[in-house]
Order: sequence, then C-alpha cells, then structure tokens
Amino acid sequence: MSRDALALEDLSAVADAIAARRVTSVAATEACLARIESWQPRTNAFLRLDKDRALAQAAAMDREIAAGTRRGPLHGVPMAHKDMYYREGALSTGGSGIRRNWHAPVTATVLQKLDAAGVVELGFLNMAEFAAGPTGHNVHHGHCRNPWDGTRVTGGSSSGSGASVAARMVYGALGSDTGGSIRLPAAACGVVGMKATYGRVSRAGALARSWSLDHVGPLTRTVRDNARLLAVLAGHDANDSTTSEKPVPDYESLLDGGVSGFRIGLALPDDGPAPLDAQVGAAVQAAADTLGRQGAKITPLTLPDFTALYRCAEVMVKCEAAAMHRPWMEKHPEAYANQVRTRMEAGFFIPATQYIDALRLRAHFVTEFLAKMDGLDAVLLPSIPFPIPTIEETDVESQGGPATLAMVGRFTGLTRPFNTLGIPALSLPCGFDANGMPIGLQLVGRPFDEATLYRIGHAYQGVTDFHRKVPA
Amino acid sequence: MDDKTRTAAGIAAGLQGIKYDDKRLAELAAEVQVLNDAVRQAAAERLTFDDDPAAFASLMEREARK
Repeated sequence: MSRDALALEDLSAVADAIAARRVTSVAATEACLARIESWQPRTNAFLRLDKDRALAQAAAMDREIAAGTRRGPLHGVPMAHKDMYYREGALSTGGSGIRRNWHAPVTATVLQKLDAAGVVELGFLNMAEFAAGPTGHNVHHGHCRNPWDGTRVTGGSSSGSGASVAARMVYGALGSDTGGSIRLPAAACGVVGMKATYGRVSRAGALARSWSLDHVGPLTRTVRDNARLLAVLAGHDANDSTTSEKPVPDYESLLDGGVSGFRIGLALPDDGPAPLDAQVGAAVQAAADTLGRQGAKITPLTLPDFTALYRCAEVMVKCEAAAMHRPWMEKHPEAYANQVRTRMEAGFFIPATQYIDALRLRAHFVTEFLAKMDGLDAVLLPSIPFPIPTIEETDVESQGGPATLAMVGRFTGLTRPFNTLGIPALSLPCGFDANGMPIGLQLVGRPFDEATLYRIGHAYQGVTDFHRKVPA
Repeated sequence: MDDKTRTAAGIAAGLQGIKYDDKRLAELAAEVQVLNDAVRQAAAERLTFDDDPAAFASLMEREARK
C-alpha cells in the first residue's frame, strides 16, 4: 500500500491493520507526516508538530505488537489534538497569545487514556483563542483554513481538529464543544464529530471555556472510528466530579443492526438567528429520506423556541469565562482578540441571581425537550443552517461587540441549545453545497444514548459516501 | 448616557474596578438587558423556591436511556 493510500484509510482500518501486523505504526505515522507536509501550508491546522517524538512513540508501539502486546483498539494509531489538552511539562497555548509560552502542570485525563490505549501523538492543533469562536479565526497563530477551500472557514473552535481530520493528516483528533465547537468544524470540514452527554467524558486537564457547558469529544472520518474513540475516552474520572459513573457501552459493537423501526424527528427550523438555506435543508431532507428507505420512521418535528435556553447558555458562558479570565482581562486586555474579549465582558455586569437562575432553569429545559422527544429515538436537524462562508466575510475582529454577537448567533443557533441541555449530538456529512463545501447533519439523542446516534449514523454512512470524499 | 448605561458605568467603576468608554458601556448595557430579561422571564415562568441547580445532573442520570 502506498504511503498516501495508507493515510487515506480510516482509523479503524489502520488500527486493525496494525494489530494484524499488516501495517506498522511507524508506517502509519510516516503516512500522516507526509500528508501534514503537503497540507499544513494550505490549512495551518497544526500549531506544533513533534515528528521525532511521534516516530519514537510509533516504534515503541510496533515493538509491543511484535512482542505480542496490543494495548487496545487504538494501538499505534497517530492522532493530534486541539491545543487545549494539557500534557505535564509541555507547551499548551489554548490558541491564545497569553499562554504562548505556558507549560501545563498536569496531563489531561483524556490524554492519559489515549496514552494508555497506545495512541501516537503527532502534535497539537490550531483552535480559536481560548476556545471562544465558531469560525476558526485566530489572530495570534493565524487563521485555520478549510481543506475544501482555503478561503473559507473551518468552523470552530476546534478548527485544526476539523481541518486535519478532513485533509487526512490524522486519523482522529480531540476537540471540545461549549456551543458547537466539535460539531461546527465537523460539519464545515465534512467529518464526524460527537458531543457526548455532559458528564460522559472527563474535562480534567482540558482548558475550560465554561465549566457548565464544556464537552470533550472526538472528530473522525467515520462514525465507526468515532464510536471506537469515544469508548476509550468516556467514563468516570475522580478528577472531574461532573463525570457519570454509568458504565461505558462498547459503542462499536452496537453499530450494526440498522435503523428499521427507529423513530426520528426531522426538524428543519426556519426561524432562528440564521434562516435555513435551501441547499442545506434539501441535503438534510435527503438524509431523512435515505434513513426512511432504510426503515426508520421519519416524523416532522417543530423544535421548541430555543431563545430563552440560548440566552441562559450565554449567561453561563459569559459569567464563567469572565470569572476565570478576570486577572488577564484586567492586566492585559489588549492581549485578547477583540471578538474574544468583548464576548466575555458582559459577564462582569450580569447579576449573580441571573446566573444561578440560568443554572436552575437547565433541568426544566431538559424536561421540556425530552417531552418533545417523547416517542422518538433521535432528532435530525442541520448542524450549520447556511453554506460555509469565507474567512473574510466572517472576520468581525475590527467591528466590535454587536457584530461579533450576531455572527456567533448565526453559527451556533442549532448547536448551542444542546450544550445547555447536555444531551448527546452527533454531526456527520450529508452533502455538498454549490461551492463544493460540505453540509453537515446533526443527530440529537436522549441522555447517555450516544449508541443510538452512532447506530443511525453508521447505517446512513453504510449507504452514502459523503464521508469518503477527500479534499484535493 | 441613559439610566441603564449609567448603571453599567457604576458597576464597572464602583463594583468591578474596570474602565470602559461610554460607547462600550452602552453596548454592554444593551447586551446585558437582553440576557437578563430572557432569564427573568424564563425563571418567572418555570422556577419555584425548591429548584436546585444540581437537579440538572440528577435529571440526566435519571433520564438516561436504559
């Protein structure tokens, strides 16, 4: 198999080939490094690449395989991660200028899990400054560019994660999602991204954006890859008191079986901050039709008015971010991009009672939404309701607060509500727009029911090939 | 400067020790009003004395699909 053909394989296939000793981890790592050499200048997806460390790690994984030891289903697979997962003693910028030279004092729980699973770490990926931004703009480290069209945004804040997986530079990547930051780049770059249930994956050692809304999760090329990865990442962590003690299913073993008899609510909302584009609506409708032909029962669903829920999320993010950033905002306000700083400033003015009420309202919103989902296994809706825009037309850096808020609202209108609700949401590719840019659909499920979303997504990918398209 | 902007100026200078110019204070006052109004209205419609922020986590566990 040629080096490039190896890079184009998906994570599960490469992991299984390494286990069967048909491919070495070193060969897979070299294949990724060759793709990175070709694609990094076009995407700026990587902030740091550590070739020597990765190759040494891969060689060690190969020695273990040769000695008969396979750590698990990810053994020897090269990955890279959003630059907000701490590794003890290593640089971790959070996409910021403020932490440009900061070294982490601990290793994130999810990195410890990937280490134990035998994953090879290629480096760390571009992201929005402090995970605050839905587009992929970054004034400190350079904007991340979409592999499908370098003039267009990747989505954010896990911009490098989306771009690197899409361009086949890595087999998978960690992202994080506070208002859509896994699902937006997954949709914009044509890959799969899972924001699991709040409490499913540990946030310990991950740079926080909003403690109440942050979700750690994987971006991959296929649903199978994503299921395999989440099973490694998920689970209770004594270092994150919000994690659940519920057992983690073997998601990959639950993928097959199809969708016959599944009840899926189809929501094509046209009344949010950004109207639903006809191309996007048609692609999501076509996906629903595909699932219908596979035996799912598709029911039109009108989403509840998310306005209050969205505003509560804004209150949580702004108050929590203002609290954690206060020392830097007081001393070095100029060290932030305008669009990052201005989104936090309202947190200094919101009364504590409103913040607490926003937290108290969450359970009510969940109850109301689950009542809406009564009788349904999942809800299907767009991830981003409009075609992927250019970097230039979404650059609000010089325009100030209101322009930033409007832009963020347009991107996150259909993703942020599910952070407030804490329920799982999976984005996967379902088409291309007239500009040749990916379109993403979103599957939303009941608490801790990631397995159903994966099963639906896997069935869909079994009869479609949008996830097999590779940017040229 | 209207009343809400003046209030924001008081919070910034008097309570938080942070300085903003009048234009930015007016923007922030408008932004906060939208958020406060939305939360207050949602709270008035739904919350009772016994609502606890921790109910969210326990509800998620309870509603987990079997």
